[in-house]
Amino acid sequence: RTATVGRGCLLREVHLNVTDLGLGYQTKEELIFKYCSGPCSDAETNYDKILNNLTNNRKMDKEKPSKTCCRPISFDDDLSFLDDHLEYHTLKKHSARKCGCV
Amino acid sequence: CKGASGLYFPQSDYSESIYIGQPAGSPVLQVFAMRDKDSERPHFYLCWQNPSRAPHYASWFHMDEATGMISMNKTLEWDDFGSVYPSSMMSFKKLSLKAIFAIGPVQRASCHLRNTVGINLIFINATAPPCDEITLEKLCFPDKEVTPHITENRMPGPLYQLRRLTRSHLCLNYTISYGVDADDPVPFEVNDTTSELLVTRPVDREEREMYRMQIVCKVETGETINKLFLPMHVNIYDENDNPPYVNGTDTEDVVVEFNRMKGAVFGNLSVYDRDTTPIYPKDHPQNKLTGTMITNDTWTKNMFIVDHSFREEKAIFGNVRGTIHEYKLILNKNLSILENRSFQMDYLLKDLSYEGGDVNVMLHFNITILPVPIRFTNVSYVFTVSRKSTMFSKIGRVCVDNCQKFQGIDVEYQLEIVDRNTSVDLQSCFSAVGIGRSLRDVSGMLYVNDTEVLRRAECQELQYVVVATEQQLQLQARTQLLVIFEDEYAQEEFVDQRMLSCAEKRKRGECEAFRGLGTPTGRCQWRQSTDKGISQNYSTCSPDLRTCPDGFCDVVERKDTICPQDCTRNTIIGGHEAGLMFGIKAGYGTCYCFSEKCFCEKDDIEEAMCDDVCKTIIATAV
Repeated sequence: RTATVGRGCLLREVHLNVTDLGLGYQTKEELIFKYCSGPCSDAETNYDKILNNLTNNRKMDKEKPSKTCCRPISFDDDLSFLDDHLEYHTLKKHSARKCGCV
Repeated sequence: CKGASGLYFPQSDYSESIYIGQPAGSPVLQVFAMRDKDSERPHFYLCWQNPSRAPHYASWFHMDEATGMISMNKTLEWDDFGSVYPSSMMSFKKLSLKAIFAIGPVQRASCHLRNTVGINLIFINATAPPCDEITLEKLCFPDKEVTPHITENRMPGPLYQLRRLTRSHLCLNYTISYGVDADDPVPFEVNDTTSELLVTRPVDREEREMYRMQIVCKVETGETINKLFLPMHVNIYDENDNPPYVNGTDTEDVVVEFNRMKGAVFGNLSVYDRDTTPIYPKDHPQNKLTGTMITNDTWTKNMFIVDHSFREEKAIFGNVRGTIHEYKLILNKNLSILENRSFQMDYLLKDLSYEGGDVNVMLHFNITILPVPIRFTNVSYVFTVSRKSTMFSKIGRVCVDNCQKFQGIDVEYQLEIVDRNTSVDLQSCFSAVGIGRSLRDVSGMLYVNDTEVLRRAECQELQYVVVATEQQLQLQARTQLLVIFEDEYAQEEFVDQRMLSCAEKRKRGECEAFRGLGTPTGRCQWRQSTDKGISQNYSTCSPDLRTCPDGFCDVVERKDTICPQDCTRNTIIGGHEAGLMFGIKAGYGTCYCFSEKCFCEKDDIEEAMCDDVCKTIIATAV
């Protein structure tokens, strides 16, 4: 399924330390982290409406199917940094470049 | 013709400034050539790369053939400045000249690389400053640092003109004289009449590589006497005037046994030389030793090569640089395991550029090649395995004698059934055990190959013959192997045919209850990390903590997704350090893998649904 670019689903950015990412790296380096957020309701299809109705009517048991979601459809370039032990690390697919409702 | 010219320029280039109004006939600069013999008389000439296309300023200068003195042919005018590189807007211009020396008089001087020196004259677009505007430093010493060099063992003689010829006429009332000052005696002094710095005696580089001194300039201005000091050092260049020698032993005993691989290195003999050995240019002949294997035996010539390397060392030569040559014996081919001989191989070294005549150094390698038998020591192997173990569990290793030390000897292992006449039913039992050649050494690794047959009672004790085959000559060795399966068969688990990797489990509890591939006890094992940050001791679920994860992907582990922690080639998600070729070297928190895709993350992160992620991100964004 191709991604629809929803109006509310936007690329945002935040300036972080690499340590804030919670990946365990010890370093003083920083990065711009870009992420996707926003509602995807305008990208919904009959499929999504039916699922909504079924869950509201409790026609489906415990299953909670995933809804349309604002996600990266392409990623930023790799990020390399030096840690406190003078070793290099490279993060791949760590930050969004483009967002879409998928 | 060697020795015909020991002449050399003691400076790599010369420079001086000239001004508008510099009078015709006034001296500019003097170049020197150091002599080898008293009879040698250098003849100096200005030269051009292409004499027919010499720059027009070439005619402004005259070089005295006998003294090397460059002087003005004409008085410099304002127009002359404009005529050089007219497009340049600089307030000074660089006039490049080249000078050469020749042993005898020369009609047409053309520049040869060896005896050419560059002369840079800085033409300043101004008249020379009057005496009261010029500092004493500028009057005494050159603008640019001068570092002359002399070659050891050569004639004494003038080295450098201390007087600044283009400025000495500016202050006619001053008397300028020079001297040498040094903490310890130096073989340099100043000729008071010519103001030339002289070398007083031949020097030896092996005694001292550099002389430091102060040039003292004494300026008498009538009422005062000023003394100025300029530090100067003279480098001593090396000649090959020392023969190579052996310090200690010239004989090395070499035993070739378990390492028979092409490229294996044996023995180490050192030869010393007090001379330096230049690395650049590559074809520089100085102090290079040439070696020859002294043997008529073509087998020896083909089988061995002598590797030569050299390095510079200071401490052992009395804090002066010298050379240590190292000679090592190298196997040029894989050596057969049956080869059995001992002989002496001599290696002759010649220092071809040494000036003291023929000096040879002979090195001796006493080589003993021992044969390597392929055999098992008399014990037969017995291994006990639990019937609860799963596919690809490791049972143990078999090893021909000394196989751990083998290099360049390839041995393959196979399993055979002792009694070939047994029933087909019984024969199927023997599929329970497999063998693979270890990737780390020359041993065979036994593993559980089929667990289904273990259900049957008649498959509890399996008797095999291990056949080890040396690959080059197909020599074989055999030994008995008994594999005993004990414990009850894990009946309840048999329902689940699909075996999965222990590495999928992220929690201790579910790991230790899981029957994954390659587990000798039938249960996965948990490794709990106590480290913070990215650690080699990350938490993980493994089939056998003795071999996984150990940073090495062995022959059994690579068969299936038994130990992706050591064997994965795919990208690893989360904080980690990748292994050198495969696997995870270090990870953050717990590392787990699904079908070769591995994740490392801190244990307390709960798996979240997509919409939960969306909510969190919206919450942080607002």
